[in-house]
Amino acid sequence: MQKLLLTIDKISTFVGHIFSWLIVSLTLLITWEVFSRYALDKPHDWAFDGMIMMYGTLFMMAGAYTLAKNGHVRGDVLYGFFPPRLQAGLDLTLYFVFFLPGVTALCWAGYNYAGESWAIWEHSGITSSGPPVYPYKTVIPVAGAFLLVQGIVEIIRCIRCLKDGKWPSREEDVEEVDVEKLKEQMHVKDEDIAKLDEFVTAKKGSDK
Amino acid sequence: MRKEAWFGLSIMAAVVIALFVLMPPAAQITTGHLGLLMLALIVVAIMLGFPTAFTLMGLGTMFAWFAYYSVNPSLAVQQTLDLAVARAYWVMNNDVLISVPLFVFMGYLVERANLIQALFKGLHLATTRIPGSLAVATVITCAIFATASGIIGAVVTLMGLLAFPAMLKAGYNVRLAAGAVTAGGTLGILIPPSVLLILYGATAGVSVMQLYAGAFFPGLMLAGLYVVYIIGYSMIKPSIAPPLSAEDAYVPLPKFAEVITETGSNNVMAGLIGAIKGKRNADVPMRTVVGHLGIALLPALAAALLMGSIYLSITAPTIVDTTGLQEMGMATDETDADAQNQASLEQGLQEPEAEGGLQEPPAELGHEAPVAAEAAPESPKAPAEAAAPTPEAPAPAGRLPAPMGYWIALGICIAGLAVFYAIFTFVRLEIFKMLLTSFFPLALLILGVLGSIIMGLATPTEAAAMGSFGGLFLAIAYGRFNMTMLKEAVFLTAKTSAMVCWLFVGSGIFAGAFALLGGQEIINNWVQSLNMSPVQFMLLAQVIIFLLGWPLEWTEIIIIFLPIFLPLLTHFNIDPLFFGLLVALNLQTAFLSPPVAMAAFYLKGVAPPHVTLNQIFLGMMPFMAIQVIAIFMLYMFPAIGLWLPSVVYGH
Repeated sequence: MQKLLLTIDKISTFVGHIFSWLIVSLTLLITWEVFSRYALDKPHDWAFDGMIMMYGTLFMMAGAYTLAKNGHVRGDVLYGFFPPRLQAGLDLTLYFVFFLPGVTALCWAGYNYAGESWAIWEHSGITSSGPPVYPYKTVIPVAGAFLLVQGIVEIIRCIRCLKDGKWPSREEDVEEVDVEKLKEQMHVKDEDIAKLDEFVTAKKGSDK
Repeated sequence: MRKEAWFGLSIMAAVVIALFVLMPPAAQITTGHLGLLMLALIVVAIMLGFPTAFTLMGLGTMFAWFAYYSVNPSLAVQQTLDLAVARAYWVMNNDVLISVPLFVFMGYLVERANLIQALFKGLHLATTRIPGSLAVATVITCAIFATASGIIGAVVTLMGLLAFPAMLKAGYNVRLAAGAVTAGGTLGILIPPSVLLILYGATAGVSVMQLYAGAFFPGLMLAGLYVVYIIGYSMIKPSIAPPLSAEDAYVPLPKFAEVITETGSNNVMAGLIGAIKGKRNADVPMRTVVGHLGIALLPALAAALLMGSIYLSITAPTIVDTTGLQEMGMATDETDADAQNQASLEQGLQEPEAEGGLQEPPAELGHEAPVAAEAAPESPKAPAEAAAPTPEAPAPAGRLPAPMGYWIALGICIAGLAVFYAIFTFVRLEIFKMLLTSFFPLALLILGVLGSIIMGLATPTEAAAMGSFGGLFLAIAYGRFNMTMLKEAVFLTAKTSAMVCWLFVGSGIFAGAFALLGGQEIINNWVQSLNMSPVQFMLLAQVIIFLLGWPLEWTEIIIIFLPIFLPLLTHFNIDPLFFGLLVALNLQTAFLSPPVAMAAFYLKGVAPPHVTLNQIFLGMMPFMAIQVIAIFMLYMFPAIGLWLPSVVYGH
């Protein structure tokens, strides 16, 4: 079971990683477009549509990845204090109450929405020769589907946690604040930090 | 289970019970009341700790269905689905939010380029003479670095590893040290380019450019107040921030500099020029000398370039009419500001009078001559330039005479340069070189990004992309660029953007349902029936936002709760731009207010074990008080925030 969970985690992560690279192409596209417009005096009319599509695809497709890494913001003032079983119980309930209806609705609505766009071969209306938007609209149901699958994995995680009393492991991923890594970057070791204590305690003594 | 959890749960239960008690009897319930119910439920639901984006999405979908169902049951499902997808697509097509991933990407790149070490070292050597120099350097480093990276957790952790130990070793008071690190580290969410302001712009429909222009001076003011506080406190009570020992402030000189100092002058200009002319220092290679002369001349060159280009732009012939004139006025003011900045920058550079260890022989008279000569070629330029445009002025297409302010600025600039070179010793050259490789690239990146946005040369999106490109370039230039680093930055960017933008998708659906139910109207009517004055309303709103800042993240507050206040702003005639600046300042305090101050926990994570959370909290208190003072000052003198937007955009 754990293997299946991790496999789906891996798929979500893989998809997320692939689409993450859009940020680099987005950066390059805009930089090039600015250069092309101001320096070469040759703006491209599809550039704006291109930017928007890259940005939208990037964040939509990273949704499941972020969920797999527990990266969606939580109000964790109280949550952090709860024992794992209570956390899992709450999460499980709310996955059924909020997540499944909301994401299913989005997914289903997105499917119809994209379908209508495909039916008329819709093109962007921002410029007269706008690029096609039906692939872009297709991102909604696809991203929704990945999110839904990842949500089901999270539900299974909750159930397992309810049984075992502790959260099943997750795959490691790059963290925003990775203290160990930052320590390495600054060439600071734990002993150095511990050594600093003498300054702190000495200071306290002299204060009194 | 911990006591805190029970306490929280009982509060939530109390909220739910109170809801049912306060709801009007079933017969009188309107859909508007359901809207309020939804709002109360969302507070409780967020506290339960479920990912907020999906909480919003689920609740929003349910209530939207309910709202549609009460009107037309047969269409309800279809309409709900339409609403959900329309909101999602709105976020996907949002040309404001598109700059979120770009700025986030720039932040991660800058953070990983590891400039912070050199930056801190250069700044603290440059400020050794100031009381509380290490703490001052900490705040300035934070202000610059946090501004460029905007990642509070990482900045506080990094400074906790870098500046905090340095301060403790130097015998600084633990509280002061902790306060400086945490307060400085959180500056990044206010000083543009900050993601908070983008989210506010997207929510409130205020132009991000104006928000950036508006937040610039309040941000600087806040950083300035911190510095003033630290200097003042250390002057009153020197024991909390003892001056650096001689060896800590010692700057090793390169070989060639020692040779020149021994035989020639300690002054850079005198020494280097002497070394080139005279054959006294045959053992110093010419290339080194010329190279350093070039570096030493950089400030003069930059000043000349800046003043020259400003001169060209303000004296450029006007093509037409009033708009041109307005722009000109604007340009002039900019000139002043720039020149002041330049001057103050120079002033800042003069400060580093390295003491201890380094004895400075008083400059001999003979050696001052080259300095004067260096300043001289610039001074005659002024009258010459002044004279030049006058004859042309009458001609319709000729150059316009530059306004008085320009010449004053130029004078200050030249005087600043003269003083700068008079006291420019080899030690300072070393510090200058250190700053040149850490401070100036970052400052240029930020000013370039901000300047192009504020001056209207680029949209925030374009500026953000160029900033990311610049960040990439910085990382390569500092040899920190490799595939792992890029990958990490890219993946982190994706996660952060997904988090923020999915929150927007959820809140879009939620807000749609809220609007359908008409909950806003009840709130509006209720607030209006209170007959509050605008000031009272403003205070009430700020207090509520401040209180929400305790349990919630600022993203949630801006995206979910702020929209409730926004429609009321027009009723009270409050400028949404001004309101946004107050909110941004206000949410800053949330990072420093116990018991959930994020900054404190990040610092605690890397502090020595005997530094207690209480000490950190106590250290943050004075800085929090300063933030409140800053809010108060902005409130009393809105011009601090609104002056720049009004000058640039005529807001």
